[in-house]
Amino acid sequence: MSENSMILKIIAFPISIILICSGIMTILGGHITPGGGFQGGAMIASGIIFSILIYGLGNSPLELSHTYIEVLESVGALGFIIFGLIGLGLGGFFLYNFGTDLLNVVPQNIQTIFHYPDVTNAGIIPYLNIFVGLKVFVGLSSIVIAFAGFKKFTEESE
Amino acid sequence: MMLSLGPIIFGLILGLIIGSQIKLNVGDSEFTLASFVVIFIAGIIIAWLSGNFPYYDDVTVSTAFLSPLIGIFVGKILFARSK
Repeated sequence: MSENSMILKIIAFPISIILICSGIMTILGGHITPGGGFQGGAMIASGIIFSILIYGLGNSPLELSHTYIEVLESVGALGFIIFGLIGLGLGGFFLYNFGTDLLNVVPQNIQTIFHYPDVTNAGIIPYLNIFVGLKVFVGLSSIVIAFAGFKKFTEESE
Repeated sequence: MMLSLGPIIFGLILGLIIGSQIKLNVGDSEFTLASFVVIFIAGIIIAWLSGNFPYYDDVTVSTAFLSPLIGIFVGKILFARSK
């Protein structure tokens, strides 16, 4: 497919950018609309996967390096765990929403720092969506990058 | 006019993160920085058609769509490397 189809090569990269922006929009609206971290991350990954399928591994304009995947995967997982542990320390149970302090146990200044800046009073939930989105995005992308790499390796060795 | 900073700030950050991985002069792809102008105009139309998503702003374009678009372009210009 990646040898002949000029139309696909022209249209795939712009569509990938639009898909990525839609995925980020889904992540950022996750606390009040359908969707969230996993769905948005899967949409971003679909943009990357689309680009890799059309242009091929090594020729794609959107290609993630090994270090980039490692860092984002770690940031996503560690961020989620750290926010959970802060909630455990401040509120008494894991993932306590210390940005919107329903039990009135968190100091006001900490609550202000971690309060997501919008009008919905969502606390730390948008941050958790962002962390999950980052992790899902690089996780799903890395699976396809690995499969494409295996295929390329098999074709070269034959 | 009410404008929430959350989607704008974090959209820009996520866009910067992803835009840093765009490489234009690879293989036989014929995209240049001028192609981004067309993509940007298409993105503005989509953001306008999305309305005020995620539903708590007073602006007529979706800030949660437009800010990652700007972030991707800025990230590509500032951080992206060529192969």
